[in-house]
Amino acid sequence: MNPRSSNPLAQEPRYELITQVLRSNIQSGQLPLGLVLLEGPIAALMQSSRIPVQAALRTLSMEGLVHRFVGRGYLVGPPNEDIAPLRCDVGAFDLKIPQQVDDALQTRGTWKHFYDEVEEEVALCQVFGEFRIVETELADYLGVSRTVVRDVLSRLQERGLIAKNASSHWIAGPLTARTLREKFEVRAIVEPAALRLAAPHIHYSQIEAFRNRIGTDPTLKPEGLEAALMTYCIAKAPNTALVEMIQTNQMLLTSVNRALTGLGLPEDEIALDQYRTLFDLIVRHPIDSAAEYLRDHLHIMAAKNLARMKIVAVISETVGFAPYLAPQ
Amino acid sequence: MAGLNPATFILPSAGKEVPLALAPYADPTTTPILAAPPHLPRRRLRVRGTSITLLKEVRERAQADLGFDVDYELMDFITCQRQAAMQPEGYDIYEQCFHNLDIVWFWGALQPIDTQRIADWDKITDLSKEGGISKYAWRGHGDAPVRKLYVQPGGFLGPKQGRYISMLPTVHNRDSFGFDTRVFGNGEIKRPSWAWLLDRRAKGRIALVDEPAIGFFDAALAAEAAGEVQFTDIGNMTIAEIDGLMTLLENRRRQGYFCASWRTGEEAAELLLQDRVSAQSMWSPVYGHLGQMAEVFVESAPIEGYRAWHGGASLSRHLAGAQLDMGYEYLNWWLDGYAGAVMARQGYYMSAPERTKAALAPEEWAYWYEGAPAARDLFGPSGAVAVKAGARRAGGTYQDRANRIALWNTVMEEYNYAARSWDRFIRRVNEGQK
Repeated sequence: MNPRSSNPLAQEPRYELITQVLRSNIQSGQLPLGLVLLEGPIAALMQSSRIPVQAALRTLSMEGLVHRFVGRGYLVGPPNEDIAPLRCDVGAFDLKIPQQVDDALQTRGTWKHFYDEVEEEVALCQVFGEFRIVETELADYLGVSRTVVRDVLSRLQERGLIAKNASSHWIAGPLTARTLREKFEVRAIVEPAALRLAAPHIHYSQIEAFRNRIGTDPTLKPEGLEAALMTYCIAKAPNTALVEMIQTNQMLLTSVNRALTGLGLPEDEIALDQYRTLFDLIVRHPIDSAAEYLRDHLHIMAAKNLARMKIVAVISETVGFAPYLAPQ
Repeated sequence: MAGLNPATFILPSAGKEVPLALAPYADPTTTPILAAPPHLPRRRLRVRGTSITLLKEVRERAQADLGFDVDYELMDFITCQRQAAMQPEGYDIYEQCFHNLDIVWFWGALQPIDTQRIADWDKITDLSKEGGISKYAWRGHGDAPVRKLYVQPGGFLGPKQGRYISMLPTVHNRDSFGFDTRVFGNGEIKRPSWAWLLDRRAKGRIALVDEPAIGFFDAALAAEAAGEVQFTDIGNMTIAEIDGLMTLLENRRRQGYFCASWRTGEEAAELLLQDRVSAQSMWSPVYGHLGQMAEVFVESAPIEGYRAWHGGASLSRHLAGAQLDMGYEYLNWWLDGYAGAVMARQGYYMSAPERTKAALAPEEWAYWYEGAPAARDLFGPSGAVAVKAGARRAGGTYQDRANRIALWNTVMEEYNYAARSWDRFIRRVNEGQK
């Protein structure tokens, strides 16, 4: 693995850097109102893949700096203002990219830096069917050696995103409703048990703090609460084998969930209420009642995830797959 | 399942202003001309749907009865489902089927309907509200519409009754395939079986409807009836079962069994008029448009039972205030009788049959609902003869046909996987044509 750069921004996720560049150029007027922002040209300009550009555009859209319109891509400017689309090459606008950010975008050597991108691409493709990952193509795509590629692949395997088939090829997918259902069944069995074991070790003050933010802090998402439940409750169970098993079982679900949200699938608004009840029970009641509720909550989450697996069927395969992913 | 009259699809231009006194329903001899204001924007309700219900005859009468414009946006089944899910701002009313709710409802595109605002809610039959025509009737495999009808806590849909529903149940039917009597006989000695849809005698002259919750099940019923595959639950297949079915279909395709796929009733009729098919998926209205081919190509009443579907109308998420009131007016109008009569004339049943009966001639009701021989020539929705005097509806009465539902159109758990496999298969069928 390459040594890390001394640039503090080198640790920042790539989508965060791209968000910063686009945000400052929109705010300064360098990118004019109505300009159509497309992922491809921005990715080329930033020497990045499209995935972090997608994430950056989504963030800016939530901030109201860009918005979706009937065509492809995003328009610069707030929504609901009837801005006419301006279609020109984004490269023509002489984007201001701070030196430090530029360096950080250039000097990302270690596999950890691009691992997230690869994971998201691999998680996403499974929704559409079975894919083979071609090692040489992946090495070319990332501009790294086969050794680094193997690091990436073994981590993907650990997370349950890929497996080797009979002829020793790396295969991703297909992601099926059955896989999701089985993983949630496992969760509903083991997570309430871990919660009971963890009772004496739970960080109650942390959970109470999260509980108080529900409904008042709009940045709080169900994923954040799920992570808090894991960190401050379940992972405190004094049985490392059990905790590891729970974490491994969740990995595929987490990546898939992120991939589906990235495709524009609606987020779950009701889950927040369920976490509020769950955290209340954890903090104020005997742990058995919280464990029972957690099991019910996981059954509901399973049903919601299965419903999501159906609606993804309307997304066509025109999203485009990375060149190292070969449809089988 | 298609209105075959192209005149159906004329849309009034969006946002057009029409002088009130010149509105299409107004008779200048009896309607007082208002002094001011001279121009009022016409109220307008936008309906997105399919050829099942978006018929010219329905739209014109709805406008006249309701006093506002009704715009139709007609789409094929798959496009309609996608657009309804992803662009709910583009319509006020969504008309499709209960199985589509697994997609459209869960995208968050619709809002619950308050049954207290549906005047004739009590007149809707048990098939729609309870799941079967009687307590003891077999429900059929797959998702009976009642399982998607009531809004449950947490935003789910289910059969447990409540005040709010996802879709107002309206039109429904039990589909089967059609067959050529020159190839298979008239069905009296050897009764029709779904297996005929994969039969060697029709090799090279078989077509399927391209819709992964419909044509997919026509093929599945055929494959199981032919003894080629077995499903533990045909309404919720496993990945291995889906793979088994698709492998079988692909083998048959390579052997040249399929000549085409189709998405609209017009396309289905065209294949028949060109005498290209001996067995294919069929929708009821298509039988009224076969000309001379109607002598030889007939509807089956398969021994295995029917593939049923149930349509309805839903409210878009964004509707509120006066626009929402118009939505409810339109929903209530649908149950009022006229729309049910138009639907009957293309072979579809209505969820509130009492008022439909009142709006039909007695001989129409007797033929379409009671399975009696046609007492005279009967007309389709557009006024052309759809049924010759003396003909009988295949499968008999409403009750008989409802008791023989094998399966409902369903969006299975593994729908994403099945639909993508199906699309690849259909693409190869269509490419093979060239």
